[in-house]
Amino acid sequence: MKKYILLAFIGIASLTFGQDVEFKGSNFKEDKDGFKTAKEELDLGTEQWLLGNAQVFVVKSPEMFYKKGLEHFEKAYAFNPNSAELNFKIGVCHAHSTNKDKCISFIKDAHERNPEVDPFIDYYMGFALQLDGKFEKAIEFYTTFETEYRKADDFGKFVKQRKNECKAGMKLVPNPIRAWIDHVPELSSAFDDYAPSVTMDGEEIILTSNRPNANQPNEVGVYDDEIYSSVFVDGKWQKPRVLKGKINSKANDVSNNLSYNGTKMLMSRINAQGNMDIYESFLKGDTWSEPVSFSRDINFKSNERFASYNFNDRSIYFAKDKENGKNGYDIMVSGVKVKRDRSYGLPVQVLDVSSQFNDGPIYLHPDGKTMYFASEGFDSMGGYDIFMSKKIKGGGWGQPINMGYPINTPYDDYFFAATANGKYAYIASNRAGGKGGFDIYKVTFWGEPKTPLFATEDYLLASVAKPIQDPELVGAVKVSSQANLTVFKGITIDAITKKAVEAVIDITDNRTGKVVESFTTNSATGKFLLSLESGGNYGIAVKADGYLFHSENFDIPDGSAYNLVNKTIELKNIKIGSKIALRNVFFDTGKSEIRSESFAELDRLVKLLKDVPALKIELSGHTDNTGSVQSNNKLSQDRAEAVVNYLASKGIAKNRLVAKGYGSSRPVDTNDTASGRQNNRRTEFEITGN
Amino acid sequence: MKKIALSLFFAVVGFTGFSQIEELTPEEQFYRDSIMHLNEENAAIQLSQTAYNEGIAAFQKQSYNTAVKMFTESINNDPKFTPAYFNKAVAQNSMKDYKGAIKTVESLLEIKPDYAKAFFQRALAYQGLSDFLNAEKDYQKAIELEPKNKKVYYNYGTMKFMQKDYYEAIAQFTKVVMLDPEDAYAFNDRGSCYRMLEKYSLAVKDYQEAARKNPKLTFVLNNMGTTQTKLKMYSDALTSFNQALLVDPNFYLAYNNRGVTHMEMGRVDDAINDFTKAIQINGDYAPAYSNRAGAYFKQEKYELAKKDADKAIQLNPKLADAYVNRGMALEMLRDMNGACKDWQKARELGSELAKAYHSGNCSN
Repeated sequence: MKKYILLAFIGIASLTFGQDVEFKGSNFKEDKDGFKTAKEELDLGTEQWLLGNAQVFVVKSPEMFYKKGLEHFEKAYAFNPNSAELNFKIGVCHAHSTNKDKCISFIKDAHERNPEVDPFIDYYMGFALQLDGKFEKAIEFYTTFETEYRKADDFGKFVKQRKNECKAGMKLVPNPIRAWIDHVPELSSAFDDYAPSVTMDGEEIILTSNRPNANQPNEVGVYDDEIYSSVFVDGKWQKPRVLKGKINSKANDVSNNLSYNGTKMLMSRINAQGNMDIYESFLKGDTWSEPVSFSRDINFKSNERFASYNFNDRSIYFAKDKENGKNGYDIMVSGVKVKRDRSYGLPVQVLDVSSQFNDGPIYLHPDGKTMYFASEGFDSMGGYDIFMSKKIKGGGWGQPINMGYPINTPYDDYFFAATANGKYAYIASNRAGGKGGFDIYKVTFWGEPKTPLFATEDYLLASVAKPIQDPELVGAVKVSSQANLTVFKGITIDAITKKAVEAVIDITDNRTGKVVESFTTNSATGKFLLSLESGGNYGIAVKADGYLFHSENFDIPDGSAYNLVNKTIELKNIKIGSKIALRNVFFDTGKSEIRSESFAELDRLVKLLKDVPALKIELSGHTDNTGSVQSNNKLSQDRAEAVVNYLASKGIAKNRLVAKGYGSSRPVDTNDTASGRQNNRRTEFEITGN
Repeated sequence: MKKIALSLFFAVVGFTGFSQIEELTPEEQFYRDSIMHLNEENAAIQLSQTAYNEGIAAFQKQSYNTAVKMFTESINNDPKFTPAYFNKAVAQNSMKDYKGAIKTVESLLEIKPDYAKAFFQRALAYQGLSDFLNAEKDYQKAIELEPKNKKVYYNYGTMKFMQKDYYEAIAQFTKVVMLDPEDAYAFNDRGSCYRMLEKYSLAVKDYQEAARKNPKLTFVLNNMGTTQTKLKMYSDALTSFNQALLVDPNFYLAYNNRGVTHMEMGRVDDAINDFTKAIQINGDYAPAYSNRAGAYFKQEKYELAKKDADKAIQLNPKLADAYVNRGMALEMLRDMNGACKDWQKARELGSELAKAYHSGNCSN
């Protein structure tokens, strides 16, 4: 039982780690023809592979060697995918392609099958792990390689650089910069899309792509690079279109840098001698001109590419390699001599930004102080990284600063084209996760850390915090109870004669018992006029000489009509000896019967006698002197008695009444005139007792 | 007075002869008319006084419209009743009918030209209309007529404060404390003048004096705390806020401001707790939401930050800080258009920071 378990384990282990099935005839006895063909492909591929190796060894482009080798290897791989050697070689081809991520699985597979498959297996294992971001592990492989590598050549600089890259990665990746990197699918394809150059307003982008185009692909099926343009509409880049005009040829045309105003462009293409040169194309309307080369001062025998305008248009920066050089492309600058002739001086290497490896592309910010460039050297974390360098006052450029993760990765990250405000930039990268090859990525910088706003709130003014409760109003008042006044008008008259009597009046407010008014009525008219509070009950006391004291009670109602109350106070004469003529007692001529119109006055006399029971009077009759004394005496006596009888008939005791006829003996006026005689004809009474 | 008038009348009227009692002589007619007029006058005074008292009652219930109506009725019934004019002007000021108050005071001053308090009221009305020139004239006139009325100096000082003439405001508040050394309000307000002049130490000194005069004034303790925060006297600031909260545990401003102090001290969690407490007490207090949004932003909790900023803006659509903070959260949530819209809005509302963020982030 144990045996079976052990066998099963070995079987699983074999499947897991794989076996190295070498390209040996003994391994493919049953398919000798197939093996022969595959082996031929492997050998053909290896020829190209070695040429590619030789190129990269001197920091040069592997050109088409790896691509050609890969074509052969893939055929061999179809026959035998289990060869450590083949997997390794395929991995190396991918490692130097624009699809580096593809190398990882092949290299790891090769290492698993045979950790000693190639002297460089540890180097490439380090490389694969570096791409995978496993920097510490990568360093271990690089160190192993370094230890075991015995050749006395220059390759050590690559290993040293890779280890430095890993160290840089260990430093940079855990401290990402404040930016987002977004793949731009609209601008990217499964092919190489790179060399973005954006207008200052960020509304148009120029890029280069080897996506299928109208030209014929090369021997390995790759199309030539063409320059495209895309515009930004409604927050999205439109499908890139090949630039109009003669800027694109049937060979590779690579955009380098669009001028700041977007009217001219630096580009590179292969010249007739097979070297890459820098050209310039000009925009006329919407058409780009046939690219014009620069003078020999710039375009010499070597390769020149990745040119960039300077902010003041007084110089051009570009990358140049050296014939037989081992440091790849270096960054050069060439100053303008005669602008109109587009003549430039001899280029000078910008040492501050040139490394032992490929440097460039270059982008000079319009601020004139900042250079962004890509380099495989310095503290790149792998492949090309983008660096920033600040111009130093007095000349030269400052220490290149890695733009950091995630702008840079262990893959190739290059080209940097910023919008005017520096918020956005576009780069090209062949990092894993794109559509394939180089893709276009958008960088969105967060800028300096933003500080949220925190607001405190105060009641700085106390009166706002706690409004003063004293509103400063003038206080309430006691509502005055001023009663309505009623005009109290009156007259004091003799009760009998109706003549005015001067009297002293006291008016008492019965609610309070207080005398509210005290006055004397007018002596001539007996009138008085005053105002009293309405709604009250008053007592009035009237005193007049010779008259009976008069007292009564009366109301002044609220809202008296017209605010007027009239009062006639009749006073009763009680003075002994007073003689009062009863002018309203009438008799027919010569008769003693009292006429009815006399009763009113006589009734007042009755009232007086009743009101003053002690009063005794003498009723006297008087005539004028017309007629005989005797008849006048009798008539006057009769009339006096008639009055007495009337009074007695009204309940007045006769003993209080005396009737006397005086005839014409007591005239009060002349008898010579009618009116005098009228006055003399009268009935009087005199108070005789009280 | 009435009796004298009657006696005089009596003497004047005289009697020209007997007449029928029902009929009135011209003199009697005149007398009766005068009594009727007096009755009407008395009735009007009574109505005036009743309406006046009702006006005061309405004012005390803060029914200013009714108060003005009643004071107007009082004036209509008794146009010489100056307290009604004055109180009407106070009520008009209270209901911010400053033009009406000025008109009322003008009528009052025609009757009583040296009425100091009337000038004071008119000064308040002018101040309400931002007619500071005329307000100042009236304050000065009121001071001239009543030089020991500290309220005039106090209000004059507050007006100067609002005009940002802090030195003149300090002069006025100083006069108040000279007249009444126990006036905590004046000390507080003078402290605030110093604060606005960035003389924070002097400000704290005055706030402390105000707190000594009246330790129950939470706003004084709050002002002191925020000023101490400006002086980076964080521990003292926390003490001040804590004292304020001891006096009034529901004083949400103190929680909010203590939260800001915690933020200054880097205590984000404590700050969030305080902002939350402020919100619990006053769910409509937009600045606490905005501040908590800022704290969440610091914690990189952008969704929470956005949610709080949303609420702050809903509560107060003119709160620029909330737009700034929401813009920042939106940026981190990858809504750059939204962020730019918010910063633009905050910029329109006067935020300098939003201006910087907008110009630095929202153009190509």
